[in-house]
Amino acid sequence: MWLALCTVFPTLWSVIYGFNEQDLPAVSGQPNGDRFKIEGRAVVPGIRAQDWISSARVLVEGEEHVGFFRTDGSFTVNDVPFGSYVLEIVSPAYKFEPVRVDITSKGKMRARMVNYIKTSEVIRLPYPLQLRSSGSPSYFLKRETWGWTDFLMNPMVMMMVLPLLIIVLLPKVVNTNDPEMRREMEQSMNMLNPNHELPDVSEFMTKLFSSKSSGKSGSSSKTGKSGPMKRR
Amino acid sequence: MDVLARFLVLLSAVLALAAAVFEDQVGKFDWRRQYVGKVQFAYFDTQTQASKKLLVATDQNVIASINSRTGELLWRQLDKSGSEGYIDATLFHGQDAVVVSGNGRFLRSWETNIGGLNWEMVLDTGSFQFATFIGVQDTVKYVAVLKETAISLHYLSNGHQKWVENLPDSETVTYQLVYSGGNGIVYVLGLTTRSHLTIIAYNLEDGEILSQVLVQCPWIVSLHSNCAIVGEGNLVCADSETRSLYTLALETGRTLTQVTMQSLDLSLEEGFQPHIIATQPNPALNAHAQFFLQLGPHHYSLLQLQQDIISPVRDFQQTLLVTFATTGDKTVAVVVSSKNQTAYNINLFSADSGRRLLDTLTTVNLTPGEGPLVKAYVHAFLKKDDSVGYRVLLQTEDDSLIFVQQPGKILWTREEALADVVSMEMVDLPLTGTQAELEGEFGKKAAIQDGLLGMVFKRLSSQLILLQAWISHLWKMFYDARKPRSQVKNEVTIETLARDEFNLQKMMVMVTASGKLFGMESSSGTILWKHYLPGIHRTASLKLVVQRTTAHFPHPPQCTLLIKNKESGLTTLHVFNPIFGRKSHIVPPVLSRPVLQSLLLPIMDQDYAKVLLLIDDEYKVTAFPSSKNVLQQLQAIASSIFFCLVDAEQGKLSGFRLHKDLTTEQIWEVVIPTEVQKISVVKGKKANEHVHSQGRVMGDRSVLYKYLNPNLLAVVTESVDTHQERSFVGIYLIDGVTGRIIHEAVQRKARGPIYVVHSENWVVYEYWNTKSRRNEFSVLELYEGTEQYNSTAFSSLDRPQPPQVLQQSYIFPSPISMLEATITEKGITSRHLLVGLPSGAILSLPKMFLDPRRPEVPSEQSREENLIPYAPELPIRSEWFINYNQSVSRVKGIYTAPSGLESTCLVVAYGLDIYQTRVFPSKQFDVLKDDYDYVLISSVLLGLVFATMITKRLAQVKLLNRAWR
Repeated sequence: MWLALCTVFPTLWSVIYGFNEQDLPAVSGQPNGDRFKIEGRAVVPGIRAQDWISSARVLVEGEEHVGFFRTDGSFTVNDVPFGSYVLEIVSPAYKFEPVRVDITSKGKMRARMVNYIKTSEVIRLPYPLQLRSSGSPSYFLKRETWGWTDFLMNPMVMMMVLPLLIIVLLPKVVNTNDPEMRREMEQSMNMLNPNHELPDVSEFMTKLFSSKSSGKSGSSSKTGKSGPMKRR
Repeated sequence: MDVLARFLVLLSAVLALAAAVFEDQVGKFDWRRQYVGKVQFAYFDTQTQASKKLLVATDQNVIASINSRTGELLWRQLDKSGSEGYIDATLFHGQDAVVVSGNGRFLRSWETNIGGLNWEMVLDTGSFQFATFIGVQDTVKYVAVLKETAISLHYLSNGHQKWVENLPDSETVTYQLVYSGGNGIVYVLGLTTRSHLTIIAYNLEDGEILSQVLVQCPWIVSLHSNCAIVGEGNLVCADSETRSLYTLALETGRTLTQVTMQSLDLSLEEGFQPHIIATQPNPALNAHAQFFLQLGPHHYSLLQLQQDIISPVRDFQQTLLVTFATTGDKTVAVVVSSKNQTAYNINLFSADSGRRLLDTLTTVNLTPGEGPLVKAYVHAFLKKDDSVGYRVLLQTEDDSLIFVQQPGKILWTREEALADVVSMEMVDLPLTGTQAELEGEFGKKAAIQDGLLGMVFKRLSSQLILLQAWISHLWKMFYDARKPRSQVKNEVTIETLARDEFNLQKMMVMVTASGKLFGMESSSGTILWKHYLPGIHRTASLKLVVQRTTAHFPHPPQCTLLIKNKESGLTTLHVFNPIFGRKSHIVPPVLSRPVLQSLLLPIMDQDYAKVLLLIDDEYKVTAFPSSKNVLQQLQAIASSIFFCLVDAEQGKLSGFRLHKDLTTEQIWEVVIPTEVQKISVVKGKKANEHVHSQGRVMGDRSVLYKYLNPNLLAVVTESVDTHQERSFVGIYLIDGVTGRIIHEAVQRKARGPIYVVHSENWVVYEYWNTKSRRNEFSVLELYEGTEQYNSTAFSSLDRPQPPQVLQQSYIFPSPISMLEATITEKGITSRHLLVGLPSGAILSLPKMFLDPRRPEVPSEQSREENLIPYAPELPIRSEWFINYNQSVSRVKGIYTAPSGLESTCLVVAYGLDIYQTRVFPSKQFDVLKDDYDYVLISSVLLGLVFATMITKRLAQVKLLNRAWR
């Protein structure tokens, strides 16, 4: 249902190029009709043809028509009736882009990019086909590797390490034994904490938590003791 | 912006979920075996001892080169499957293999070193008869292709046609043979059955008819096996009625010369059609003057024709196979005779004199489980001392290839029957001996016999045995860990078979079209047993059923193979043990009527064998096993047994119920008119499937309950009219018990081939969209709604509300060859679809992408549900190929089985190749990952322990110092 909404079917191109959609049969295989051949050449950059062609094939519309490579990397798919086909080179080691080939009932050939969504969009490609491998397909996922830099650059680690450095190094940088300095610091502390009556927040918190946890541990031990009692 | 970003994060999280392979996992738990099929033609490369190349063409339309030392494939090329790619003839010369395929449609020349084409020619239509090389002046220059109505000559170097001539009187004459002795004349031989023989001589240069001779011979039936060309262009025919041989010189003869077999001291066995086996080692030269005449199934005679006189050379009694082999200028006759059931003797005889050659006896001992020999291909070569050495490729009735070297050493064996697997099952491996002993200890009988003290003693001793086994296991692990992984080879034999802790290793029972059964260990692919069932026709339909698993020790596991003969429709049963392959002593019932349907019921007999119900064409039911216990159980639950029969030819689905007396009654029928559409696929659900969650939690925290009807059938029909505007695909969801059509839908402008997967509450099917010329997936999901009608049990008879059906379609950017879904132990793991592509890749597509609730516009709620926004095209990513570059050609089936680990699903893809792997649809969430860093975690732990110890010590010192102060 959704599909129909997403696809558009302009039929303009067919007029321009002299192709007629209606000419193209859905079912190929009329024994008496003319048969055509699709020709082309495939190249894997940097690799000699004879090193890869033995494991490669040319498939037209699945396995409806099959073509094989010649020793120089060229291929011909014979015995193809008119119609529109997606031609694909399958090779486990190299990746090729599929191509759509249109053949009219008069044997006029045209190659274009495959676009399954806008099926009638025409971006022409050269014919006879010139296919170039875009390299090897990536079959594998990368393992997450572990390195010291990853560990150190982790924000959590940074947050922990930097304050630690400050705590450890700062007293060493600032000489605390100097009485003048100490006085200065005390002054600044007093400025920061002007009201002596108010209890220190951190102190308060530690008191609060320590009392709570002790209470908790007490209660837990109690229940621990009462457990077996009940069971009995 | 924020919304978009969140969506992207979500999408990437989803994509990361998909199963994929890490590079270091290659070959760790997956393996592939490549096959070529039943060999039709085999040729050895150059006639030297060092030659390694073996060229084969098979019935699977494959041409391949095999390394004759190791049996591995050097290269392999696959033509179209079916009759369009069928290899009619193969000729081999130098480095070129000339192949005629597709009933004489294509003429191809292959460069056999690299596996590429030299040239390819399209021939005119016409049914293919014969092909041969034609030589002139000692060199092979042309290929002649004989068709029903024409003969054409092509240059061997580039395939161009030299000439083509129509054959005279081709309506009445069947032309079958072409012969040329290298003298510039091409003879074409044809016959009119039981009337006369036509011999036409063509000029090699221009195709002009030089002469045309009609020879009367009212007994002639076929030229292929009864006749052959021998010596300097002499036709020799054998006739069983007159018990005589006929000869005719092609060049000069006008009438056949008759020689009775009696005059040659030959006795033809009663009712046997004699065969003539001749050889023409070099197509540019004359054929050999010696030939074999087969007089009976195991009786051959070597004869020679010299100066138009036939004389016997040597008689071979009790001989299985004969063939000629040539090396240099020496031609030898190779004779294979059987020594006993599994051993064969191979001898070489000089073709000229009939003398046995010294030191050429080879005795081959085949492993039990092979079929009888049907063919021998001989690679003869001259040794340094000028004597003839040889290697033999033996082919058995079950398609296996055995390569033998003198003196009787089997270099390799290829089980080519596995190229055509029709059915398979996976069976859990049995317990080890010690585990089995433990199980046996608590048997009821033992307890009564031994008493209390005995039992205690037994318990202790068995615990001791277990401890011993555990220690030896640990020792082995420690020992193996020190060796590099490549050296550790766990040889799997039938003795060491044992279930592993996660039940990842299983026994794969494979049934092949040739009638050979195999038992393979799933983690390594080792064939542990094979069993050949002779007399199974290749068209027979075979169904494998596991009746008893290995879980019921001490009862052995039991599998039953149903073999249905296509012509007679009669079914026979073969009951065997899937672990050892041995035939069971249980006598299966004899079925006198054709069986329509088989049902495996969940009820078990007293020996824990599941009951198999067989329904014959009179709708009578036979139970197997049919003990009293079973019949009682059947009577008790008969009212709840229903079954459904599908007659695709008449477009009829009918439902039946079982009565207590094992008769049946039809209760419903659905007719799909065959004039408009035909049933192409009917799919139920897998019996061993578990569904973990009953519903889906939606974004608003309500639950959408799944419609989980175990009796639901998905029926897919295709229109009879295949015009692209009018063709359609129909899908019906039918309840198999009541016959109620739950849902029906029609997909217009669509046609097959259709692939369907039906599981849980969803059906996924794939079809071809004729309008847009692309493949599309469609998914149907069924929901009960937000309220569940009956949460405890499902009954087809009590369902007042029809389910809600959701559907969505997607474009799939490739044709497909197979579709299957993963399955896991408890169904918690998310599902993936396994899609076999024509390229040989198997794509693991997350079911998440095929969810009809994928929204067009993502909303807050859909994001919370992890729904991927709708996109018309499904992605194909090479990371999702579970078989990376190990492509599996012509996938015919994908078998999925759960393992003991919830995260892991075992997958076997079979077709021409067999590929086994494990997939983890939701990653390995229940075991530590392969790359789990034991070193890091242990070093961190150790570091922490040391740190605590040191700090403790420091703290103590500090306290002490403070106390002193």
